[in-house]
Amino acid sequence: MKRLTILIGLLILAALINAEDKHFGKELTLDKKTEISTILASPEEFVGKKVQIEGTIVGVCEKRGCWIQVAAKDGYDKIRVKVNDGEIVFPMEAMGKTAVVEGEVYSITPKTTECTEEHKEGEAHECSQEKETSTIYQLKGLGAVIKM
Amino acid sequence: MKVRKSIRAIHRDIGYLCVGLIIIYSISGIAVNHINQWNPNYIIEDKAATITPFNDSSATNESIAQYVVNQLNEPGEITSFFRNSPTTIKIFMEQRTIDADLTTGKVNIETVKSRPVINEVNFLHLNKPKRIWTYVADAFAACLIILALTGMFILPNKKGFMGRGKYFVGAGILIPLIFYFIYL
Repeated sequence: MKRLTILIGLLILAALINAEDKHFGKELTLDKKTEISTILASPEEFVGKKVQIEGTIVGVCEKRGCWIQVAAKDGYDKIRVKVNDGEIVFPMEAMGKTAVVEGEVYSITPKTTECTEEHKEGEAHECSQEKETSTIYQLKGLGAVIKM
Repeated sequence: MKVRKSIRAIHRDIGYLCVGLIIIYSISGIAVNHINQWNPNYIIEDKAATITPFNDSSATNESIAQYVVNQLNEPGEITSFFRNSPTTIKIFMEQRTIDADLTTGKVNIETVKSRPVINEVNFLHLNKPKRIWTYVADAFAACLIILALTGMFILPNKKGFMGRGKYFVGAGILIPLIFYFIYL
């Protein structure tokens, strides 16, 4: 009976440890969550602002753990949370788990090597201006809690 | 003479203390150094599969996820799922992610397993635990400095620092400097 009690106790403890919330980076400070779809609907309004989001982790940086993609509960929206290498390292085990993340919204506009000027194929040319692709909105991750 | 005896004792005992940490940091150092060639923390495998396409637009996401898992005969419970688009679904299970295209029936099953030993040593080397481990790592770094400095003065005469030792020490300083200026 004593052994059984200890075993049950250990199983409960293991379950509690397993279901533990894992904290990454700074403590979360905001009281109010912002829907990912709300941010992506009018991202310019949120640029430079600190927000707290909640959603399912649908992508993790495989080698460095330096970003995660968090998806909205409903719909197809998802946003990338980028963190400084080494400051926060997200584990691959976080895939599919629920996360509450705080970070600052920022935008990046990746440039392609494609020129805006017309030129014949193979013809030597110099780009005076590179073609810009669409703007991407991301979160600079400051802290996160993942329900493991 | 008495000073050299103390230096030897310090070098010996700190050396013993650091054996485990030196091995951990060295293994992880090699593993992380080649991060562009491999994933030092996880073994990731992709497997292609097919299912019968699913076209019921009235079905719930839960039932679609369960349908895909049943078609694949994948054991275990569904952790969560995400609809990338109206025609695709991403299903998360323990150590697995299933990407399914519902119109074509094409499926990719990605299995992620922790790389034994190396994942754990990387965890410590890259200071993922933070907190007290940060100070343990600092103390280890200080010990390495002590080992380096005391190591130079263990032997006297020709085999010591004032003999051949100074050339080796010079070479050890020169090597990183050369590479620094080459890649600068």
